[in-house]
Amino acid sequence: MRFPVLFARLFVPYIALSIVVGAAWAAEPHFPPLTGRVVDEAGILSAATEEKLTAMLAAHEQATGEQVVVVTLASLQGWSIEDLGYRLGRAWGIGEKGKNTGALVIIAPKERAVRIEVGYGLEGKLTDALSRAIIERDLVPAFRQRDFDRGVLAGTQAVLGALGGEPKATAVPAERSQQDDPLSALFLLILIFFVVFAVFGRRGHWVGPVIGGIWSAGGRSSNGDFGGFSGGGGSFGGGGASGRW
Amino acid sequence: MIASYSGSLRLVAPDTLLRRIVAVLLLAGLSGCGAINRIPTLDEQVKAAWSQVLNQYQRRSDLIPNLVEAVKGYARHEQETLTAVTEARAKATQMVIPPDILTNPEAFKRFQENQAALQGALSRLLAVAESYPDLKANQNFLSLQSQLEGTENRIAVARRDYIETVQTYNTELRTIPGRWIAAIFYPDAKVKETFTISEQAQEAPKVKF
Repeated sequence: MRFPVLFARLFVPYIALSIVVGAAWAAEPHFPPLTGRVVDEAGILSAATEEKLTAMLAAHEQATGEQVVVVTLASLQGWSIEDLGYRLGRAWGIGEKGKNTGALVIIAPKERAVRIEVGYGLEGKLTDALSRAIIERDLVPAFRQRDFDRGVLAGTQAVLGALGGEPKATAVPAERSQQDDPLSALFLLILIFFVVFAVFGRRGHWVGPVIGGIWSAGGRSSNGDFGGFSGGGGSFGGGGASGRW
Repeated sequence: MIASYSGSLRLVAPDTLLRRIVAVLLLAGLSGCGAINRIPTLDEQVKAAWSQVLNQYQRRSDLIPNLVEAVKGYARHEQETLTAVTEARAKATQMVIPPDILTNPEAFKRFQENQAALQGALSRLLAVAESYPDLKANQNFLSLQSQLEGTENRIAVARRDYIETVQTYNTELRTIPGRWIAAIFYPDAKVKETFTISEQAQEAPKVKF
């Protein structure tokens, strides 16, 4: 067995595995893009309500660093709102990274389902029982009368009220994972190929394609920027409550 | 395989050459892609996901005494159902979890079965509670019920996260190059257990509005 063959044998399964893993991720439901603090995919909120909500939510983040997003979904795509909710929160990365201080108010008018999804870091303040109370007191009764604007405004206000206005703590710098850093990986690769040349003392025609292959397999696209508002990288663990109307 | 190398490489003794090849291959193939650290990294992720599962089961278990107390006041005739919940909880919490549970199929199975039994008993209790209007109107009960539902949902999420991380870990351990890396550097790494009792069977009854 020649050296290039062995080398390829080392990497082909690795690259193949990355592709398989990548395909598995695609089994997630489709989410609307995070266009702002209010994402009205179902188109049930008036422009005035959206504006009021956005101002409210922006002021809250300014004061506390906590991100709350209101989202209406055109469809749950066959998922339960509980299953979809935490995935949406994770996909958008609502809340501060490491502290997970994010919450979502999710409304799916087609399925008549509503959920308050609470990030790990806010579960102590916005408890399941409180979330349930807000859903039953502010959201569901208004939704039954098809008054989405009133319900969402009252419900969001109640959510922010429950969260309170604690002053923002100093931000913890986001950790950088070495594995995800393409520059340091490239640097290592270059170093390694120098070592390879030093040992074998000659150039092979296979080096170029191999570098190219590894480089393209290792590169990862980062999350897009949403101009003005984007998630802080927070995570969710299924806290909160749901309701139907 | 080793002998064939000397054909294309001159000036180096086969012995040293072999060592150099191994060193270079390891460096090039593994650290370049961060692969050499993948197994311990994934192992830590599995541990973190598992402690989250344990946390959430613990949280459910902590809620039960209050729930039983709340139901007792209204549903005195349901002694049997209440006792079943208390007993299932005792069985689940008294189980000594061995440190090697994740690689111990028998202990893992016992853990799963105990939690599933508790789940079943709880479902029956909540179903019974449906037929007591006074209980259903009790604020304390409603609050406990929403906490229990939230906890069941957290358990479902934690289990799913655990299953996913174990899948990645086991795949790494069973496929090349992870398999080779494990054989050389992490001989103690073992394939880990994952949940087999379906989530549907574990799901808490949904409360109707």
